[in-house]
Amino acid sequence: MADKGVDGGRGRRPSVVKKQRGASPQRFYVVLALVVVAGGLFLVRAARAPKVRANVTTAPITPAQAEGYLMGNANAPVQIMEFADFECPACGNFAVITEPDVRNRIVNTGLASYRYFDFPLPMHKNTMAASNAAACAADQGKFWEMHDQLFRNQPEWNTEATDNPKKIFLGYVKAMGINTDTWEKCFDEQTHQSRIMANQAEGNRRKVQSTPTFVIGTRLIPGSMSYDVFKAYVDSAAKEAPAAAAAAAPATAKPDTTAKKPTTK
Amino acid sequence: MTRRQILALLAVVGICIALYLTLYKFGVIGVLSCSIGSCETVNTSKWSMLLGLPIAAWGLGAYAALLVLAIVGGSESREESVPIAKVLVALAGFSVLFSAWLTYLELFVIHAICIWCVTSAALWVVIFGVCLADLRAVSRVSR
Repeated sequence: MADKGVDGGRGRRPSVVKKQRGASPQRFYVVLALVVVAGGLFLVRAARAPKVRANVTTAPITPAQAEGYLMGNANAPVQIMEFADFECPACGNFAVITEPDVRNRIVNTGLASYRYFDFPLPMHKNTMAASNAAACAADQGKFWEMHDQLFRNQPEWNTEATDNPKKIFLGYVKAMGINTDTWEKCFDEQTHQSRIMANQAEGNRRKVQSTPTFVIGTRLIPGSMSYDVFKAYVDSAAKEAPAAAAAAAPATAKPDTTAKKPTTK
Repeated sequence: MTRRQILALLAVVGICIALYLTLYKFGVIGVLSCSIGSCETVNTSKWSMLLGLPIAAWGLGAYAALLVLAIVGGSESREESVPIAKVLVALAGFSVLFSAWLTYLELFVIHAICIWCVTSAALWVVIFGVCLADLRAVSRVSR
């Protein structure tokens, strides 16, 4: 306050007046150097980090012996398989959070096909019923709708919730406009039990040990993951795809659309 | 620490973020560390390039310009330079508007959020605040 009159309006700059506090250049350069070093370390670490996860294994592409449930173009450059249990919470998280983006940006753009394989785990009492419910919905072309309902509403029908999941499933069936009688007959007779077992056997053959587990191109990746990570695996599989596709199915060789990223300009 | 020294530090932080995204765009970094949102969706969208360069590279340029201005303007002889303060406000103001537009694109056009981009936008808001305070202070002194 007392300083106010110092500059006195004479047009001369009172350089001593407003000297900012703590303006020691040495200290500033030390702090600046620390920030630069910290940032540099972060960038070096990021650049050196493995581009894929550590627990991923690579196996040669072998055609599946079970059909699973297909979404997208079967001849897409990249083949994705998911081994999942309808009652497993991590599978539910993936289905609800990540999978919509996978469908919109990867499957619907033709970059990859997606196959779901049942991998029912023994500790989940209602999961086999859920697999059956989905298989019977598949008869009427509603597998993915049922898949979504089951994962979205796990707490309504899982082991903790009920001993009679069929009652809950019937509600979904009606809401989806599926023919209830046909579905019920199929469900009660467990018509597709062998299909479900074949899907599970496919997982065992590929040494799946937990759910969800994904096979993307040649990689077996256990665990749920974010869209970005998923997309990175698909992109790296797409780069390897032309050679692998030529080896696996020469007759169905696709035109060279494999390197094209649908969202990249 | 003076205001311009603070600006220099913020500029270095910004440079790290922009460099991270630029290196990703050039393929040096494989997967972006992105706990929230979809960094890759944003950074591979068609909006991630401008005039043939990644947006992140333009951001890198803006932060670098800020760093140079802050260090030059932070020297004892230019500590109270009004023109430098004005250029700083202009640079930061433009960057805030540009970041706001990018954030709008993320939210309403791309429908994905890139946490690093949002952090950079927030950083520019802080930088703009410091630049305004700087301009006010040096204008008062030189009057």
